[in-house]
Amino acid sequence: MKPTGGSLRRLATIVKAVIAIAFLIPLIFTLLVSVRPEAEPVTNGNIFFGSELTFENYERAFVIAPWSLHYLNSIIFVAGVLLVQLVTVTCAAYAFARMRFFGRNPLLMIILLQLMIPSGVLLVQNFRMINILGLFDTRIALMIPYWGSAFGVLLLRQTFREVPIELEEAARIDGANLFQVIRHVYVTNAIPAYLAFALVSVSSHWNEFLWPFIITRSQEIRPLTVGLNKLIKTTDQGAFYGQLMAGTLIVIAPLVMLFLLFQRQFVESFARSGIR
Amino acid sequence: MRLSTPPKPLVARLQPYLLIAPTLILVLMFNVVPAVKTVTDSLHKPARGLNAAGKPPEFVGAQNFHDLFDESHYLGARFLRSFRNTIVFALATVALGVPLGLLLALLLNHEQPLLGVWRFAVFYPSLLPLIGAASIWSFIFSDSIGLANAVLRSLGHPGLNWLGDRTLALLSVIIVNIWKQAGYFMIFFLAGLQNIPRDIYEAASLDGASGWQQFAALTLPLLRRTLLFVIVISFIFAFQTVEQLQALGEGGPNDSANLLLYLIFQNISERRNWGYVNAMTIVLIGVVLTFTLSNFLLFERDESN
Repeated sequence: MKPTGGSLRRLATIVKAVIAIAFLIPLIFTLLVSVRPEAEPVTNGNIFFGSELTFENYERAFVIAPWSLHYLNSIIFVAGVLLVQLVTVTCAAYAFARMRFFGRNPLLMIILLQLMIPSGVLLVQNFRMINILGLFDTRIALMIPYWGSAFGVLLLRQTFREVPIELEEAARIDGANLFQVIRHVYVTNAIPAYLAFALVSVSSHWNEFLWPFIITRSQEIRPLTVGLNKLIKTTDQGAFYGQLMAGTLIVIAPLVMLFLLFQRQFVESFARSGIR
Repeated sequence: MRLSTPPKPLVARLQPYLLIAPTLILVLMFNVVPAVKTVTDSLHKPARGLNAAGKPPEFVGAQNFHDLFDESHYLGARFLRSFRNTIVFALATVALGVPLGLLLALLLNHEQPLLGVWRFAVFYPSLLPLIGAASIWSFIFSDSIGLANAVLRSLGHPGLNWLGDRTLALLSVIIVNIWKQAGYFMIFFLAGLQNIPRDIYEAASLDGASGWQQFAALTLPLLRRTLLFVIVISFIFAFQTVEQLQALGEGGPNDSANLLLYLIFQNISERRNWGYVNAMTIVLIGVVLTFTLSNFLLFERDESN
């Protein structure tokens, strides 16, 4: 038992190290290539470092796409989605968790349809719906399909049900109205669930590409991923990987840093988000 | 019971409906109505000829589906190839990505030095935008100046045309997806492993069970639900993850690496293909719905009652 335990542990460490290095190589080389002179590709000379450290790739990436504008657009997009979601999800979750009304279960089933037919596969008809509403190429068009969240309703409904009903009854006796009850009894007792929901919502919409790409035309409202697409398409012709890697890092840096700060919360939130 | 006091004023009776109305209306507008409209539009063809823009579409029954499953039709060949690729892509992700996720969870389940570093290394790809991940891999797979070929050439191999070769292109896309998803699958296995009591293993150790025997006789059966769940969601995701193609050869060459949703995206603004893109969407919905429904029946039922 003992000797195998020791060698098993050593084997596990080796396997871990190999996988970790393999997984990190793309990130490490993105960084290396982004600060290497464009004229010295990795196939030429030292595979890791160029002859000098340079930021010219970043400068050129900034010429191709207005990253600060795209940053602002991405922030407005994810914040606009999240803020509205928090309201719609909280209201619906409370009703489904604590109120009795005619048609409760069928109505919940309709909302759960969103989990069964995700918006992602309905690209074609949602594109049409936005055109019918006359919202094409607006910020609202980007956000509106995500304003209702069945995942959020399910998550918070479950959390609200675990809040002791005596707390609500006590608040009612103290004269609290419906919105005060929801705000002070339920929301305050569900902060971890809200954090989980917010992390999942923000990271998935920050990363969204296909929908923003087809539903917008103007650079003024397009998010980072669409800006990156422009850089990819520019790179296609000349293979300027230095500037592409610089641009990619500009786009992915905030989420990677957010993850470094909130590693545990991210892992826990994602674990709860099996269905988004 | 306690909340429903007998005679309620109208406002109070309307309250729950007002609370759920925003979510309900949004789901109707962007999920239910579009799904129904997909069905009807898939049975029609846009009018053709002069002044076609004003004319109503023509009902054609299942003709669009016939065309799509017809190899000689201009979109049929593309559809069949993309559909087959999507299934290969999904199966490969499940067959390789899920066991890798499980292995990672087993390795990283307990307290150990550098745990944060290990977890970061395998989980960070799941946080990247697909298109960003693909952009990174477009450099690795680049034919002339990419990293993969730089390594191969230093070993004396002439290098591979990762994205330009018909047989390799889909494999390259699969590699990217496994790299991206394995860490995500890992966290579900980690959560599942947390629920297995430690003392079961202690008892098994005392009985002389080896590490492998413990895994086969205890861990795997106890993780059955998690395993099933991860397999189902990895199928669901596989049918929706296509954005990477934007940076990895756009489904080419000749659709050899194209995926269904990406083919739909490529044809979305061509008027004459409207019936076809809706018919393709029906196929996609059919597959996704099969998996989401089984997921719901297997795991969510107890939660919704």
